[in-house]
This record gives sequence, C-alpha cells and structure tokens, in this order.
Amino acid sequence: MGEADQETLYATICREVMLEKQLTGHKVDRSICAWFWEQSISQGEFVKLPPVIASPTHYLFQIVREGITFLACTQVEMPPLMGIEFLSRVADVLSDYLGGLNEDLIKDNFVIVYELLDEMIDNGFPLTTELNILREMIAPPNFVNKVLSVVTGNTSNVSNTLPGATASCVPWRTADLKHASNEVYVDLVEEIDAIISRDGALVKCDVYGEVQVNSSLSGLPDLTLSFANPSVLNDARFHPCVRFRPWESHQILSFVPPDGQFKLMTYRIKKLKNTPIYVKPQLSSDAGTCRITVLVGIRNDPGKTIDSLMVHFQLPPCVTSADLTSNHGTVNILANKTCSWSIGRIPKDKAPSMSGTLVLEAGLERLHTFPTFKVDFKIMGVALSGLQIDKLDIKNLPNRPYKGFRALTQAGEYEVRS
Amino acid sequence: MSPPAQPQKSPSPSQPSGKGEVSDLKLQLRQLAGSRAPGTDDAKRELFKKVISYMTVGIDVSSLFSEMVMCSATSDTVLKKMCYLYVGNYAKGNPDLALLTINFLQKDCRDEDPMIRGLALRSLCSLRVANLVEYLVGPMGSGLKDNNGYVRTVATIGVLKLYHISSTTCIDADFPSMLKDLMLNDPDAQVVANCLSALQEIWSLEASTSEEASREREALLSKPVIYYLLNRIKDFSEWAQCLVLDLVVKYIPSDSNEIFDIMNLLEDRLQHANGAVVLATIKVFLHLTLSMTDVHQQVYERIKAPLLTLVSSGSQELSYAVLCHLHLLVMRAPILFSSDYKHFYCQYNEPFYVKKLKLEMLTAVANESNTYEIVTELCEYAANVDVPIARESIRAVGKIALQQYDVNAIVDRLLQFLEMDKDHVTAETLVLVKDLLRKYPQWSHDCIAVVGNISSKNVQEPKAKAALIWMLGEYSQDISDAPYILESLVENWEDEHSAEVRLHLLTAVLKCFLRRPPETQKALGAALAAGLADSHQDVHDRALFYYRLLQYNVNVTERVVDPPKQAVSVFADTQSSEIKDRIFDEFNSLSVVYQKPSYMFTDKEHRGPFEFSEELGSLSVGVESAHNVIPAQRVDANDNDLLLSTSEKEENKGPSSNGSSYNAPVYDGSISLTVSQTQTETPYSSPALPTQASQSTLAIDDLLGLGLPAAPSPVPPPLKLNVRAALDPNTFQRKWGQLPVSLTQECSINPQGIAALTTPQVLIRHMQGHSIHCIASGGQAPNFKFFFFAQKAEEPAGFFLVECVINTSSSKAQIKVKADDQSTSQVFSDLFQSALSKFGKL
Repeated sequence: MGEADQETLYATICREVMLEKQLTGHKVDRSICAWFWEQSISQGEFVKLPPVIASPTHYLFQIVREGITFLACTQVEMPPLMGIEFLSRVADVLSDYLGGLNEDLIKDNFVIVYELLDEMIDNGFPLTTELNILREMIAPPNFVNKVLSVVTGNTSNVSNTLPGATASCVPWRTADLKHASNEVYVDLVEEIDAIISRDGALVKCDVYGEVQVNSSLSGLPDLTLSFANPSVLNDARFHPCVRFRPWESHQILSFVPPDGQFKLMTYRIKKLKNTPIYVKPQLSSDAGTCRITVLVGIRNDPGKTIDSLMVHFQLPPCVTSADLTSNHGTVNILANKTCSWSIGRIPKDKAPSMSGTLVLEAGLERLHTFPTFKVDFKIMGVALSGLQIDKLDIKNLPNRPYKGFRALTQAGEYEVRS
Repeated sequence: MSPPAQPQKSPSPSQPSGKGEVSDLKLQLRQLAGSRAPGTDDAKRELFKKVISYMTVGIDVSSLFSEMVMCSATSDTVLKKMCYLYVGNYAKGNPDLALLTINFLQKDCRDEDPMIRGLALRSLCSLRVANLVEYLVGPMGSGLKDNNGYVRTVATIGVLKLYHISSTTCIDADFPSMLKDLMLNDPDAQVVANCLSALQEIWSLEASTSEEASREREALLSKPVIYYLLNRIKDFSEWAQCLVLDLVVKYIPSDSNEIFDIMNLLEDRLQHANGAVVLATIKVFLHLTLSMTDVHQQVYERIKAPLLTLVSSGSQELSYAVLCHLHLLVMRAPILFSSDYKHFYCQYNEPFYVKKLKLEMLTAVANESNTYEIVTELCEYAANVDVPIARESIRAVGKIALQQYDVNAIVDRLLQFLEMDKDHVTAETLVLVKDLLRKYPQWSHDCIAVVGNISSKNVQEPKAKAALIWMLGEYSQDISDAPYILESLVENWEDEHSAEVRLHLLTAVLKCFLRRPPETQKALGAALAAGLADSHQDVHDRALFYYRLLQYNVNVTERVVDPPKQAVSVFADTQSSEIKDRIFDEFNSLSVVYQKPSYMFTDKEHRGPFEFSEELGSLSVGVESAHNVIPAQRVDANDNDLLLSTSEKEENKGPSSNGSSYNAPVYDGSISLTVSQTQTETPYSSPALPTQASQSTLAIDDLLGLGLPAAPSPVPPPLKLNVRAALDPNTFQRKWGQLPVSLTQECSINPQGIAALTTPQVLIRHMQGHSIHCIASGGQAPNFKFFFFAQKAEEPAGFFLVECVINTSSSKAQIKVKADDQSTSQVFSDLFQSALSKFGKL
C-alpha cells in the first residue's frame, strides 16, 4: 500500500505547469496534465470536476485553491482522503510561506517551494506538514531575511540548526521559544449554513465553528480553555495538541499550543432555532413580466451590528431583462444574469428593500423556475451558536501574558428559496 | 530575491524556444565553475534558478549536466539543493555524468550539519542509476546509524529507494533487518513510521520469492508489533498514524476484550483534525466489529457525528470524498441515518456530483417518519433550474413512493409535477406515474384524471411518451378520449422516431380496441397497417403477430395482450450486494469514490463481473426463449424494462412443461436464430428480457408459419470481437500515441440514449455488452468522454481504440477510431455506431 502513494505532484494554473515533483521511480509523463486540462475544459468550468478522477493511466486527485490546481497522480489504490488532505496541506503551507497563493508568488519562490515539498513528502509518503517544524527547517522568504542576507552575506534560507521540535516531546513546538511580549488570542469563528423555505420556515440550520488561537508565548506553556456551555457542541475535532482525557471527562481543552496561528478545534452545532436576519423574496408573475420584491431586516437582534450584508441570486434563464432598484445599497446585474445587491450595514431607521420587474421570454406567461437567494453577512463580536468561552488558564509561564478573546459569525451557505 | 528568470520564462512550454538561452547558460556556468571570486554564489544561484525554471516549464536542459555538476562544489545549501534537484531529474538519463556527482554527494553525507547529511543522502538515493548503487551502501549504512533523527528518517526511505533500484543489493546489505531493528527501537516516531512503510513494501514484494520475507510480513501483524505501534500512536505524525491504522485493520484480535481495548485506545482519533486519520480510524472500527452485530451498530452511531462534521467542514474536495464514504454507509444501513436526513439536503451551489450522491442518500434513508419532509424537499429540487438535478429528484421521489407505505401524499406531489408545465418534469413524472400504477393500481383514478389532461404533443421524450401511451392503453376505459388520442398518435406514425414508442403504441391501441372496439377500430386498422409497413423489425413483427392473433381468435388475443395484471412488487437491484460488500471491505480507498471494488479498476485482468453475467445472460437466452414461447403467460415484455415482479418470474417457469411438446419444432429454429444473431451483432446489453421479447415474437412468427426464414442470416459475420479483451491503460496510451487516426466520424444518438446517459457507467456497461470495453471515462452532463477499446476475436493483435465524445445537449457523438488493422476500421466503426445506437433502447 505504501508504494507510490502519490507519484507526482503538480501545481498548475491556466494550462501552464508551474511545478512538478516526481516522487517515486516510475516517472509520470507530463501529458497527464494535458489530459487533465482537456477534461476540465470540456467540462466548461474546471471547478466542477470531481476531486478524484480517473485518467486512462492514472488516478488523479485535484484541489483548486485561489485558481491554482494542485494535482497528484497515483496508480495504486490508496485512501483518497490522504491524497486530498495532503494536497490541501501543501496548499496551506505554501500560502502561509509565500503570504498568499498566486502564479507570481510561486514562480518567484519556486526554490523554496521545492525545498518545502522535499521535506513534506518523500517517496510518495507524507512526512511532516506541521508548519512550525517546517519553518525551522526552511526559513520563510521575507524582507528581513533579504536585508540580513545582503548585510551578512549569508544567503542561505536554510536554517543551520535542525529543528528542535523533531526531537522534542511536543512535536508541534520547539522547546526554547522566546517572545518579548507574551500574548495569546482566542477567536471563535462561526459559519452559519441555512436553508430557508419560501414561506420563511427554517428547513435546515447548522453552525460550523472554529476556535482559532494565535499564541506567542515563551517556553512550554500549558493552557486550559473551558466553555461556559460545552453541551451545545454536537461534535468536535481537535488539533493534535489537545489532550483527549480532560475533554472526555470535563469538556476542558487542555493543551500545549504550537507557536503562531492554528486551529485548536472545529465543531458543529446542529439545529439552531433562529436566524439573525430575514430575507423575504416575493415574486408575482403577470402577462410576461414578473414583479420581484425582496425585503431584508433584523429578526432576532444579535446585539451587535450586522455587517457586509449581500444578497446574490441568479436570474432564471427565461428572464430576458431585469430592472431592479433598491432603497438602500446598490444592485448590480452582470452579463451572466447574476444579480447582487450589496446592502452593507442594515440602517437603523428603515428596512432595506429591493424591487423591480423581470421581463420574461416571449411566449412565457409566468415564471416557473424561481431563483434561490444566497445571503452573506458578518456579525462581529458574537458567536451565534451561543457557545461561550468561560476562561483560559495559563500555567508554566513566568509572567502574566495578555489574553484576548474575539468572536465572529458569518454566513456560510445561507440560502433563501423563493 | 527578485526573479530575473521571469521574462525569459514567459514563452509557453509547448514551444521549446530555449535553445539559444540554454547554450547561453552553458557558457555562463562554465565561467563561474572555477571562480572563487566573492559573489560567485549569488551569480550561480541566479543561473541555477534559471536552469531549474526551464526544467520546470519542460525545456530540456540536460545538456548542462556537466556544467551544473562542476558548479556544485559549494558550501551554499540552497545552491546544493537546487543542484540536487537538477541532478535527481536528469541522472537517470545521463548515468555516466551522474558518476561525477557521487563524489561530492558522498562527501556531503559526512558533513557535520545533519541537515546537509540528510539532504545529500536523499539526493544520493534519488539518483536511481543502477550501476551507482555500490556507492550508496556505505552512506546508507552510516545514515541508518546516524545519531540525528532527521538523517535516519531520510536513510530509512532511502533503503526503499535502493530496493527499487536494486533489490539484491538492498537485501544483501541486510538493510531490511536493520530497518526492523530501528522500527522497534528508534525513539524518533517518524523513523519508526518510515521503517514500517518501507518494510511493508519490501516484504510484500519479496514475499512471493522468499519464505522468510513472507514470515516477516506476517510478523508485522503480530500482537507485539501492533500493540507497540498502537501505544505510540500519539507520537506519530498524522500521516504516519494513517499508515499504522491501515496496518491495524489487517490485524485479527484474538478476543473481544482485545477489540474493545483497541477501540478505546483509538477513540480519540475520531476527533483528529485530519480527515485521513478519522477515516482510517473508522475503517479500523468497522472492521474490528464486523462479527459483533450490536457493537457494529454502536460503531455506526459513534462514527456518524465525525463523518457528518467532516462533510460540513473543510474544503469542497474533502467533503466530496467523505460524502462518498458516508454514502456507502448510508446505503448499508439506511435506518441508522434516518434521523440525520437533513444533512443530505442539497445546497444550491453544490456541484452535480455532490447533489446526486445526496439525492441517493435521501432516497435511501426515507422511512415512515421522515418521508413527508424528504419528499417536500425533493419537490423543491424538481423546480430547480438545473435540469439533470430536477430529473434525478423526480426519480428519487418515485423511488421513495415505490418503497414506502405512505404513497398518498407522494402521488399528489407527483401529480403536481405534471401541472408545473415543464417538459422535462412532465416527462420524468409520466414514467414514474406509470411505474406507480403498476405497483399501486388502486391509485389509477386519481392519476388517470390528471394524465388524461396531458397533451401528448407536449411529451417528446420516448420514455415518457411510451409511458403515456401505456397508460392510455391500460386505462382506456377510464379515459374518455383515449381512442381519439391514440388515433391521432397513429396518424403521426411516420414522425415517431422511437421504435419503443411505436411498439407501445401498437400494444396500447390493441388494448384499447379490446375494451372499446367500436371507437378504436379505425385506429387499430391504421396502426396495424403502419406497423406492418414499418422498417423496424420488432415493430413489424409485433404488428404482424397481433394481426395474426386477431385473425385467429379475439379471446386468445385478449388473454395474450391484456391479461389481468398483478401489482408489481420489487425493483430489480442495480448493484449486486456482493459488490457492495466488496466495496465496504475497501472502506477508505478509491473504490468508495468510484463506487466500484478496486479490482474492477486497478486490476486489468478483471473487467468486472458485468461481462460475465452478460455472457451468461446471452447464453441463457436461447434456452429461456424456448420456455417462454407461449406468450399468453407473459405480461407485455416491454413493461418489464424497469420492474421485475417475483410472481411473474415464477409464472414464466410454469408453462415450460406443457409447452415443450407443443413447440418442439420451434426449439431448433429459435436456437439457430439466436446463434445467428449473436454472431452478426454482439449480444444485447441487458441480459434477458428484451432479447427474449424479440425472440419470442420471432419464434411465434415461425410457429404461425409466416415463412420468415429461420435459416441463419446469409451475410457472414463481418467482424467478431473478443468478449473478454483486455488492455492495460499504459499500452492503451502508447498505442493511442502511436497509431494514426483512421476514422473520424460524427453520429447522432437517439433521445432514449441521451435520457439514459446520466453517468458514464451506464454507457460503459452497455458497450461492454457489445464487447467494446471502456478504459477511461469522464464527465457529467452534457459532456461525456470515453476511451473504448475492442479486440478482434481471433487476432490478439487486432485492437481497435476509440475516443468517443458525447454531448447530450446536441445528441451528437464524435468518434475517433484508431486500429492496428486499418482495413477493418470502417467495419468496426459501423459496429461501434450500431452498438451506440442501441443504447437506451431496451
């Protein structure tokens, strides 16, 4: 099974191969990329190809990040999750190292990219994808480094010492970290996925959340994070640093954090009863035109401002033209019949509404395919699921660190049917 | 580090324009090679970067090998790395030059910086030049004993690389036993994991020749090793954990206590952030408890939450792969997921392949308590802009209706679909209403009231039209203007392209006639006349058959064409449970994503049991048709295309005894017909029923002395294809590259085919029935692409390769044929097109 898990990795964009890494002895011909592109072009939009596809010669895994396709090929049976997860990690690590992902960044730094890949996978078997360890082996490209290298003449971006973490008992952390200011920030970031039926009923409403931690603490600190109401959690997944037993017995997160930004925990809460806003579309057809009105407003005031509110929808193909206006925000209709109404912040004094008429194709009396409205919003300062952090204790630190907490809720797949 | 290489890189890789630049680089490298001036490293670095960027875009820079090696004497690590990369890429092609690098790599293997030692060792192993292995053994041996974990990690994987270059060298140097030692004792978890990975591979490859190796492989699965690895599992990296878990799956615990111990130890892995670890753990759990039914069920309950979280979190790609696994579990035990049905609701933006999986799961988990909500949700999708999804949803509603008790509400919904006034919705719904009526005849009044209002002009799809016509015939006594609708349909006989519809029309008119003779007489006359003049053999035969039957005796006709029907009870299952079990055994593998056991796509020896069953199916046709010659016992054969009733099957067996003497002379005739047919055109795709239908009518014609020549068709079989042709993808690709295109053709596909082509697999199975095998396929509606191959029956070298691109919205297929024997490619192409044209016609 271990043999040739992944034989080749490619990162491509716009039909151009940017990177290629052959992992085992059997060399994979690059024509596989051409095949892949032919496939994706014949599909129209390449995002729509399934992540695991079979070519005449290989099985391909693909993920798309920021318009860059990462492709891995294998000829043998293997766990698909391993392929996809690994590619995702590669993309994450690269994006962290390069400060983003785009063609120019990768091309400018491809030596680093190769170095990284070298450490992340060998002979088709993933080694380490832990950012902290990689950072110690290969220094990220940054301005300071460049200046230093000019001044000292030491141009190597390979650190000369081996990562202490590889030997440390806490593999995600080096033993002797030192920070001038000891700080730790904990963010609750929630995404709300909902489907709301045309009569305003909640068909489905789930919350998917993450506890993101940004830690800059010296030494080997031991943290304990507890929630005021852990019972609302439906299921949770943890960063490897979290100790399982305290969670099992007391729902307490006890961990030695890695340095920097990481996802401590992801969780899911199902069956939320309320949504913070309402979006009410109304459509009525008559003699070849359709009158459309969309009302938006606050339903259950979350106590914080609702921001970056947007409503998108796709006009049905049978609509030939549309004339839409709103009393707040701006409405845009693109050539591909995508409409977006950006509202921004909901005003205090009035309820935003958008209205207009849709002209239907000749011969069509009334509209019978109705658009689905996709809603985006952001609420700072509150986690809508109601999950609350109780306290964060830090042990094993000489002086008191600064602790910061934030919360954010945003719309994930939030759709309103009409 | 601004990119100086940028401007030169821009020419696209397809045109290797780098010739001039490569020789330019060569010169510059030469100048730098000996230089010791300050700043040389920087200059080198820029040049190396250029070389590597050329290499990356696909320009051949192997001619720079010696210059690159000359420049590699440096203390700069980055330069070294770039050089290693370059050397690793081209050493295989230039073994002589690769020898030059050995020296400096070996020296680096003794560097005091462990990082450099490791890197050098890795590059040394990556040269992959067989005659250089002697230089590898020494550094590798010391690498395995290095006091730094990083170097040992590299060395362990190096052993595996060495094994692949020269297995004897690796075994002779006794590396496997050193690895085993490290695996059991090394403090560094990554070293342990790499040892395990390497040993697994080496020993399984050696096992076929060496008994010791196979014993060692067994020993990996022994209790002490497994426990040792399990106890350290938290030290391992997430990827190594997957490896260990994969090993644990194969371990057979001695008793249930052991099983519980392992599960307790691994339970927290279910909450790991890495989806691969979670799935590997789930696999362990499922396999450990296979024999313990109730615990197995608890395991399902336990793994449900992590799986659902994985689906809803994470990237789209990840979510799809997990969804495929969830799909497998849901299909296995739908009851356990019946309360989680909301997770399978489709989101508007999800791609087709995700929605399709979700629809199948929704269908599976529907039970008494949630049917109402699920059907309500499915109805939402039926109004969807996305036509394939709308169709799938309606089919899903139909399936639920056919498997549930609470049909009442569903029938109402289906009838509402008909009022939506959208052609594709109407078409799908008609097909379903037909099936529903066959299962629940008690609903006929409600349905017929609505169906009677549908104008047949709005129904164009053959399947739907056939369904509508069937209902008109079957319920002609309830639909007041049935005879007149049928009559107008008969008038447009010429415009009806689908033979299936014409067949149904014949039967329906006859049924209608039997119930309402005065009103239908005219239509029947016209239909029989048109049928007799029809160019399609089946239609012609059926018309003739009805005609003779009516001439013979109207009562017998009624017994044959319109016997009292029994409600149909069971769906013919599409995928055998054996295959499902097989896929389940391969949980957490590609099989699950493809919904096929891996031997069907990785092992080229097996092209799947489909082929086998089809072969059997076509073989049995001759025999069965003899049993079925008395058609009075048969319900209209075309009705059988979707449903199989158990009672009917039994009935079929019944008459064989009393019929055998009666049709003894026919027996031979029908057999010879069968044989001739299998020769001229390769067997029909769907195993028994349709073939039977045509054959039994043929046999009857013969019985009635119609003078239809029973002798085998005079045309010799033009081309026979090997039913079990095999070709591995590599050979296919090579051949495809070598052979010229001998034919390019475009043909249109009949609308039934288009309607049936929901996934590539349907067509693949169909073509397999015609001895044309698929080697690769892809795409979703409206674009599908297939690579087929076929082989002449008696000529092992006579391969035909076909690229077939089907666009379902234009109903066109573009075919490119390549053949070993060019002279037969036209014949093959005809065969291919005829096979393709039969697709969808059952």
